[in-house]
Amino acid sequence: MNTFWLPLAAALAVAIPALATAWAQSRIGSSAAATLAEKPELSTTVILMIAIPETMVILGFVVALMILLQGQA
Amino acid sequence: MARVRILGPQDRLDEVLDALQDLEVLHIAEPPRLEAAGAEEAPEVAPRDATEAVEALRRRIETLGWVLSHLPEGGSGLRRGRGRERGRVDDVGDVAVRLRRLLVRLEEREDALERDRARTARMRDLLAAFEGLEAIRRRSGRARPYFLVFEADDRRELERLQEGLASLLGDGFELVAGPSGQAERAAVLLVPDGRAAEVEELLAGAGIEELPLAQDRAATAEGSPEARLSWIARRLETLRERRRRLARRYRGALERALSAAHDRLLTLEAEGRVAHSAHAFVLQGWVPEDSLPRLETTLEDRLGLTVALEVQDREAWEGETAPVVLSNPRLFRPFEAITSMVPLPTYGSIDPTPFVAVFFPMFFGVMVGDVAYGLVLAVLAAALRRGSRPRSTRRSVAEIAGACAAFTIIFGFLYGEAAGDLGRRWLGLRPILLDREEALVPFLALALALGLVQVVLGLVLGAVSAFRSHRKESVGRGLAAAMLVLVALALLAAVEVLPGRLFTPAVIALLAAFPVLIVLEGFLAPLELLSTVGNILSYARIMALGTASVMMAVVANRLAGAVGGVLVGVVFGLLFHLVNFGLALFGPTIHGLRLHYVEFFGKFFSPGGVQYRPFGHWRPEADSLPTHAADAARSSTP
Repeated sequence: MNTFWLPLAAALAVAIPALATAWAQSRIGSSAAATLAEKPELSTTVILMIAIPETMVILGFVVALMILLQGQA
Repeated sequence: MARVRILGPQDRLDEVLDALQDLEVLHIAEPPRLEAAGAEEAPEVAPRDATEAVEALRRRIETLGWVLSHLPEGGSGLRRGRGRERGRVDDVGDVAVRLRRLLVRLEEREDALERDRARTARMRDLLAAFEGLEAIRRRSGRARPYFLVFEADDRRELERLQEGLASLLGDGFELVAGPSGQAERAAVLLVPDGRAAEVEELLAGAGIEELPLAQDRAATAEGSPEARLSWIARRLETLRERRRRLARRYRGALERALSAAHDRLLTLEAEGRVAHSAHAFVLQGWVPEDSLPRLETTLEDRLGLTVALEVQDREAWEGETAPVVLSNPRLFRPFEAITSMVPLPTYGSIDPTPFVAVFFPMFFGVMVGDVAYGLVLAVLAAALRRGSRPRSTRRSVAEIAGACAAFTIIFGFLYGEAAGDLGRRWLGLRPILLDREEALVPFLALALALGLVQVVLGLVLGAVSAFRSHRKESVGRGLAAAMLVLVALALLAAVEVLPGRLFTPAVIALLAAFPVLIVLEGFLAPLELLSTVGNILSYARIMALGTASVMMAVVANRLAGAVGGVLVGVVFGLLFHLVNFGLALFGPTIHGLRLHYVEFFGKFFSPGGVQYRPFGHWRPEADSLPTHAADAARSSTP
């Protein structure tokens, strides 16, 4: 079981948040491009906005590592 | 900061503004209401004239700037022209208008010559495609040659031309196509002189490009493309020498006039913030407290007792927006660049720069943590710093990168990493703090501990900052900080990192603190606390990025060993490390900034400060404070 379900769970823990992050960043990115065209002074805010959804995949990555460590134990 | 008012007779206003412009310490505020100052409202002083003067000056500045940007460098350096040299600005401004017209003509000629040079060079390349070109020319005799260009991959175009010529001239023409070039194919067409008009009509109808080699021959001494290129180069050099002569003659005067025009514009803008009565003026603004004696002395020396300087008590402007300038020791000053990327803090609130200067490079070092990467970053930082101007953004970035490199090297030693696991295999490095490849849970704990420290610090700073004005909120923030520490203690006791007997007291204290928190901060306080716990969990990204970085480095080393020969493996490994290094620069920087701006600043930072901009002389570097004014402000701003 550990050789199938745990790696699958770890993969899903990264993959699903990665898809969510990608979707969020695609929406924010296109809006950010439009914003920067009109107000370049908002670049800091825009970078932050783009970095915010990455929390999902980063936490997913941490959870995946935890799952794999659990499997090894 | 001290708020001051300057009062005097109308006829001394120009002198007062001159003195203030030379002193460069007064940040002029909006005009005071004269009723409050005890004077009667005066009719506006020809606002339309001032607007016209400002517009005229802006046009002058635009023209001077254009001319200076189109003159070669050299001549005299920038010397300051005072705003009061008004007549001189107008004189030089007229010269600038004429110079602009002349420069436009010179540039048009240069552009035409550059186009001619490109066309001739292309023609030369095309002609070089013909091996028997000279033979064809000699054979032409009384025939008229045409030099044609075809798309290299369009053979049909050449065939269609041949068919058209055959129907027009029978066999009375010769068309020789050269070998195909990269994109174009050259051909020479020889036709009888008498049929030239019909042939040209045919060529124009078919849209075939003709190189005007025959006409160019008349324009050059020898008729060859090389001769024309040489002639063009001589003409261009003549035109450029003429521009250099203009620069030597006029640049100094133009720069002084530009500086004077900007100064005059600043003075006009300052005049717009002066309140007038029938006979007097009132000007109010902010001065760093250290500069106050200098302001008093200067006004007294230059204007005697005709002008009064009134320093207002702090109570009189309590709650108003005083301008701010970030004030930090030399070591922390480069990090003001990071703080300046968000709106300035309000006057009297906490400047987060010293905390950023400690935490940002530390987080970067914890995430990257590699001796080799740190050394490369240090070299890049040194290269970036070399030749940069003091106080410039480039200098700040270089110094921030230097601090990040230092922390990266330190944590590299603590992790025992140099280019991934190469440090262990080749240099005998050993992990002192933890092995990031294996000890994922301790690394996560380290990341969360850093988060706890920074978020609790943020809450404490918020409590300190709010203590004077919002006592209840301040106590609430302090309590939230204490509760976070209690949560951490309880968790550590639960997993037996701390003695287990601490668990119960910590939980009891936590439960007791909840109602107090709700009383102080309202029913949403528990949610706020939960969100703060979420903020701390967000620091897990430090571990995630760090682990990803070390894993990439290890994979680079393994790939290097697995691919083909030694040389290919080394090149492959280096490329992979280069990619990882690029990611290591980008990811930790963005996420480090995010942790500061969102998680840390959110706890105490109060944005909305107005930048301290003393009225002074114009400087070419925008946004630069006069050095002595910046130093004065640094020593006096809280």
